[in-house]
Amino acid sequence: MDQETVRTICYLARLEIDQNKSVKIQKDLETIIELIGSLQSIDTFDIEPLYNPLEMTAFKHDDLETSDNKKNKFLENAAESNEDYFLVPRVVE
Amino acid sequence: MSIQFKSITELNELLDNKAISVLELTQESIQLAKKYSELNCFVTLNEENSSNRASAIDRDQKNTSLLSGIPLAQKDLFCTEGLRTTCSSKILSNFIPPYTATVVEKLEDAGSITIGKTNMDEFAMGSSNETSFFGSVHNPWKKGFVPGGSSGGSAAAVAAGIVPAATGTDTGGSIRQPAAHCGITGLKPTYGRISRWGMIAFASSLDQAGPLARSAEDCAILLNSMSGYDSKDTTSLNSDVPNFLENINQSIKGKKIGIIKEFDLSDLDTEVQKRFDESKKAYENLGAEFIEVSLPNISASVPTYYSIAPAECSSNLSRYDGVRFGHRAENTDDLNDLYIKSRSEGFGDEVKRRILIGTYALSAGYYDAYYKKAQQVRRLIKNDFDQVFKSIDLLMTPTSPYTAFKFESKGTQNPVELYLEDLFTISSNLAGLPAISIPHGQVNSLPVGLQLIGNFLREDELLNAAHVFQQNSDFHHAKPNLENFK
Repeated sequence: MDQETVRTICYLARLEIDQNKSVKIQKDLETIIELIGSLQSIDTFDIEPLYNPLEMTAFKHDDLETSDNKKNKFLENAAESNEDYFLVPRVVE
Repeated sequence: MSIQFKSITELNELLDNKAISVLELTQESIQLAKKYSELNCFVTLNEENSSNRASAIDRDQKNTSLLSGIPLAQKDLFCTEGLRTTCSSKILSNFIPPYTATVVEKLEDAGSITIGKTNMDEFAMGSSNETSFFGSVHNPWKKGFVPGGSSGGSAAAVAAGIVPAATGTDTGGSIRQPAAHCGITGLKPTYGRISRWGMIAFASSLDQAGPLARSAEDCAILLNSMSGYDSKDTTSLNSDVPNFLENINQSIKGKKIGIIKEFDLSDLDTEVQKRFDESKKAYENLGAEFIEVSLPNISASVPTYYSIAPAECSSNLSRYDGVRFGHRAENTDDLNDLYIKSRSEGFGDEVKRRILIGTYALSAGYYDAYYKKAQQVRRLIKNDFDQVFKSIDLLMTPTSPYTAFKFESKGTQNPVELYLEDLFTISSNLAGLPAISIPHGQVNSLPVGLQLIGNFLREDELLNAAHVFQQNSDFHHAKPNLENFK
């Protein structure tokens, strides 16, 4: 892993790392990648991945309309909103 | 009358006999939280609401459940409507949930009172509670020592006798390891036993809520209320929930307990080893039979976990964008800049590290090598458990390789050093199995925990084995000297 890879991953994750922490992060990531890389020595030919310990089809509930309208409560947690929308910096000029 | 260190059953009796009112009990619990504020186990106290609720319960005079009028603390990642829920992160430091987690709702429906929200590792990522935006929690047994993590605030609040029990969550050992370090009992139930709805996600296929208390019996009381199917959680199990108190006292004569061959306990501190051997002997005296078993892939649990958990974390934490809730950076140029700055200011170093690892493991070209590979190894680990549980009832290991350690003494140079804290606990999360940690003595005046792992949905067996051990020992009655925290 090099600094360029660290910058690419940071961008993908929408994170910025302080310049003075960048080398430490690179070293930490290398150490962790080395740890998880140790799995390569295990033979997993033809083994199905186990994505969830329950291995069952997700239960679905009926898609019913509820009378519980909490729009205002949800909007209250936003740093900026008007009465109907979350506000963000202008996207389209 | 002091309510400190009393069990749920004892408090219930005091309430029943009118020796104390629910309001008095609640207020004393809050006073204890304030008195020991230096422990830093609470992020937010729920003083006014809990007193109002206590008065209402006193007025109704209905004591229909063992939890009626009992003060509890909730880990600060369970959403509580109208009560700040931070996940001990700057990014959620102003978040007031518009709804309540199913777990909290169920405990409150049973009559319990939420007195506050407990400190934790940020987004439950850590084994020492040192990654919290609100500062480290002290271990009640020794100032300046970690309580373990991530449910460190809950464990410390119970160990200090502020509340009889608290909720926690366990993704790789986050209930059991702090329970061990603080000398209390903590149970991670089977994955799917308890609803995850309203529980802020870290790694969704591993996260599970559970109780922390001073005894297995009190854990069983909480588990009875916390368990059950919830249509709002697609991974909630629709299976019968037994009464976990019913068979808690039955004999364990003839139970087969497995000792895992691949865990070389001779590497451990000799005193930690000694406690383990003494407990093994105690179980033999209770009629249990020990068998050495092999789980050939269990040594791969730590690397498997540190591929899967960060991958799920990077996906789950992508929702924190500064737009709909949580911290929002100021003076940003455009939407992308808003995302980057809000997230970079809002997350701490360990959370960032895990998001980056997860992003890397899931990125094009690496997905098969890291993420898929880990999920295949996870299958092998689960297969090993399935195999051994054909011939045994329980597995026994130490909970943690070490006792609690000094603040900033581990993981600062090399994060993997701290990840190894979870060596014995992680595999049951990967396989979705229930496991419990019970106190079984001390080393250098710090508590040590014993872990029992059970088969799928067999929390009843774990609680039974833990309770019978506690009926024949008094390690769970040991209390820390809190003089230093006044």
